[in-house]
Amino acid sequence: MRTFVVVSVALALTAALVAQERPMQLDDTKVPKGRPAPRMANGKPDLSGYWKGTTQTRPGGNIGKDLPGWKLPLTPAGEAALKHNLTATVDPEAVCIIGGTPRHNASGLPFEVLQGNNKITFMYWYSYFRLIPFTPGLKHSDDPDPSFFGEEIGRWEGDTLVIDSIGFKEEKVWIDENANPHSDALHVVERWTRPDYNHIHVETLIEDAKFYTKPFTYARTWALGEPDEQIQEYSCSENNVDAAHLGFGPGPIRKDGTRGYDNPAPLPPPVQKK
Amino acid sequence: MPTRIVLTVILLCVAAGGRAVAHHSFAAEFDATKAIRVTGTLVKVEWTNPHTYFYVDAKDDKGDVVRWACESGAPGALSRRGFKRSLLKLGDTLIVDGYRAKNGANLMDARRVTLPDGQVMVGASAGDGGPQ
Repeated sequence: MRTFVVVSVALALTAALVAQERPMQLDDTKVPKGRPAPRMANGKPDLSGYWKGTTQTRPGGNIGKDLPGWKLPLTPAGEAALKHNLTATVDPEAVCIIGGTPRHNASGLPFEVLQGNNKITFMYWYSYFRLIPFTPGLKHSDDPDPSFFGEEIGRWEGDTLVIDSIGFKEEKVWIDENANPHSDALHVVERWTRPDYNHIHVETLIEDAKFYTKPFTYARTWALGEPDEQIQEYSCSENNVDAAHLGFGPGPIRKDGTRGYDNPAPLPPPVQKK
Repeated sequence: MPTRIVLTVILLCVAAGGRAVAHHSFAAEFDATKAIRVTGTLVKVEWTNPHTYFYVDAKDDKGDVVRWACESGAPGALSRRGFKRSLLKLGDTLIVDGYRAKNGANLMDARRVTLPDGQVMVGASAGDGGPQ
């Protein structure tokens, strides 16, 4: 009887908690499919929405997700850069530095897109955003200022928004959550589509001849959040106590390609109510 | 079914369903082999980004009072799961279960917080790759 009462109370508490919090990731098998994507007045697909990763994206946070064994084709210089990231740098995002492209596309966090007629903006948790023009005829600069998102130029190819980016920084950047590197020679081509109302998809080509022996690809699909969900205020440097306690690199990487421990110790048993 | 098992399963379900804003890898800061419980008096609350912190004074093995910094998810994430700032009252006795910082500081990842009335709050930043 005592067990029954405790379990009932706990279940009620759980239901209340779950009802109040919406997950940051969705199980895509439960997301409706087939409803046509919305379109702008000019006929182009409207990519706007609050987009959440799905539990089917594995391993999360790993830019080598689509490669056999998640093995990135690092050059010797790339291997050295990875070693440097693992042994001499803390996660740039943990000290409030912008994750940039393509790291944000490998993140577990949702993002929000707002689309206009000549520009589109991607907004991220941590109060970062990128604003990409797609006015016809745009070309890259001869010598763009290095930045975390690079110099981004958009164009439409049918119903696909292509974002071509060069001009990246080389220092204080990780290409993904596992501390893999990229250099200032990085060239990223993202091909964004909205296959149906509830999904957005990207096919990414990543080229970096300094750190990678050959180009590789990264593809991912996100699912639409609820209409009233949106990016919230998030001041990364308000009280960043962590900075003084972080070790170099992301810590252990699990056998499944994600960051974290394979065999964590269990927490102490829950406290029994009197 | 043992009550303990049921409660554990329920907690795991809540943790898996809710995703806080992961600011960094759990494993870059905390040691998942060092699970600890700290029971002590709440003396300070920082309901801030990128993480909330609350501070608990607890006695160590020698009887000396030690101040523990307990790190949790971002305020918005905690609030959405029902872990409100107003639930933390200075002077309350809290039971905090989590993992200690790798550098040995009196800093822990507060993954489970038991309030004086028995309510259990999930403090974890679940998107950080930490234990589920």
